[in-house]
Amino acid sequence: MAFTSPFAKAASKPGHGSIVVALLPPDTPVLRTLSYQYPLKLVAPDPLPPSGHDDKDGSTAPSLVHTVFLLTYGGGIVAGDSIDLAVRLETGTRLVLLTQGSTKIFKTADPSMVSIQKMTVTVAPNSALVYLPDPVQPFAQTAFSQSQIYNLENEEGSLCVCDWVTSGRSARGENWDIYEYKSRNEVWTSGDKAKGIKETRLLLRDNMILDKHGQTGIPLAERMDGYSVFGTLIIRGTVFAHLSKFFVDEFEALPRIGGRDWGDSVSPDLTPKEQRRLDRQQREKTNGVVWSAANVRGFVLVKFASREVEGSRNWLRDMIREEGSILGAFGERAVLCLK
Amino acid sequence: MSTTDSDQQSLKDEIADLERRLQDAKSRLSPSDAIETLPTLANDAALHALFLLSDSALPLGSFAFSSGLESYLAHHRPSPPSASQVPSFYAFLRLSLSTLASTALPYVLAGYRSPEDIETLDNDFDASTPCTVARRASIAQGRALLTVWDRSFKTQYAGSTTANGRSETEGKAHTSAVEILTSFSKDLRTSSHLNAHLAPLWGVVTNVLSVPLRDSAYLFLFSHARTVISAAVRASVMGPYQAQSVLAGAELQKRIRGLVEEGWNKKVEDAGQSVPVMDLWVGRHEKLYSRIFNS
Repeated sequence: MAFTSPFAKAASKPGHGSIVVALLPPDTPVLRTLSYQYPLKLVAPDPLPPSGHDDKDGSTAPSLVHTVFLLTYGGGIVAGDSIDLAVRLETGTRLVLLTQGSTKIFKTADPSMVSIQKMTVTVAPNSALVYLPDPVQPFAQTAFSQSQIYNLENEEGSLCVCDWVTSGRSARGENWDIYEYKSRNEVWTSGDKAKGIKETRLLLRDNMILDKHGQTGIPLAERMDGYSVFGTLIIRGTVFAHLSKFFVDEFEALPRIGGRDWGDSVSPDLTPKEQRRLDRQQREKTNGVVWSAANVRGFVLVKFASREVEGSRNWLRDMIREEGSILGAFGERAVLCLK
Repeated sequence: MSTTDSDQQSLKDEIADLERRLQDAKSRLSPSDAIETLPTLANDAALHALFLLSDSALPLGSFAFSSGLESYLAHHRPSPPSASQVPSFYAFLRLSLSTLASTALPYVLAGYRSPEDIETLDNDFDASTPCTVARRASIAQGRALLTVWDRSFKTQYAGSTTANGRSETEGKAHTSAVEILTSFSKDLRTSSHLNAHLAPLWGVVTNVLSVPLRDSAYLFLFSHARTVISAAVRASVMGPYQAQSVLAGAELQKRIRGLVEEGWNKKVEDAGQSVPVMDLWVGRHEKLYSRIFNS
């Protein structure tokens, strides 16, 4: 005899999760959905009002910013795990996504068993996402593939998202001793059909593939040229316009490679800003941080690498702090992973 | 897939071997009047097109770019400064080829196989090229290739649908590929969405010129190697004779062949950067104090 459960069937599958931030009329942002299933765990602390209200641009910034921590049981991803998270930001909302410590990828016995992490984010017009996580840390003998797909409705909506990876447990001598690591970041737009534009269009694809292919005959560790951290920061939209400009300007202001100091370019009186810039550039040099920023198809795409994890972490924090708009619009919490 | 590929390959090898033996037997039969068999016209035409595209006089402007070599050398100053940069150059050449194969080669193959997708391929390649320096180089060369097509190749290759020993269906596909190129080139002048990147256009143009796909892919990678090596000569890393010997080397041949095989079935969605630091070298080229190359 078939037993019919009186309870509704659980919609969520293992590793699946869903976050929806919506605006409760007239202007209260709420977490409408927050569901997850083992091994994924989502934790949402109370939303906070943004610390600095910047009314100067006349934007309708929401009164509260929601934060969700993306966690996994055991603090990492075990071979064969598959995580699939769907996020939706409705019009006029803001969301901060964080991690709690680096995403550790644990050893797999079988190189063909690839652990997978997928995140699909839909960003409605006039909403903004900040995703500045800790880096992914694939241990030796791991196979991992992740994808972050962002859909911007009508090419609107703002993004400031970072994706970075480290060489493993450097304290244990691990140095890119992985089987395979793939990370895909894509931004798509769903266009207006009436105007005759195609329904969806790829705006940006940043796909990193680290595996044994390429016919280089050069081991992965050497291919990385001594760097143990690589990262990409993707910035787009009106909310982050000032931040975008800041990165491009600072890149322009970097000293020329191979340039000589003839002693005639030193201005005796540096403004505090120039002094901070000089100090930061000095720290970049000490920490072996190299980076570039480029205006690409309406994005500012920042690539960075450093010898040690802390080098990149500190650099990113310095840059975001110096510019200040994220802290103002999203609060201190947004940069929690960079501390 | 790979088994059929290797089956096909072994069949091809067998045919080549049989032909060689036939030639050999014929020449032994009567050495005085050995019958020289003429290859078919289609092969001739493809070879002719291959020569055109591999000519370093083809005005693509490739000489203006170093594909990041100049920046790489600036980031790897030898110590002492008089030490040879040649070993460091070899590493760069390998990494550069690997990057090109993982990022651009899938678009060459896709452009050749489905010319009708050229606009999407062009857009997606543009979306996947993260730094402005690499993108300028790719667009400059792509537009140059399109100009060469328009001004030089079109009159010769556009008309003849069933010429060069093509069957009727092949003729139709050829005509539509020509039309696609023509309309792409026309739209480029008015549309803000089109860019004309080299990789997908290389695929379409070599298709129209009836160059076999494998040869087209091989030449794409080979041309890149030649560009980088020629840049090394101009950057005083090595002399012209050493450069030719690198270019002629069995190692380079094996590498290019391997990369074509590796990428043969790779989808454009899975194209990506296999040497992340390359983006930094190329991107930071703009920050060099002195430069002799555009990129």
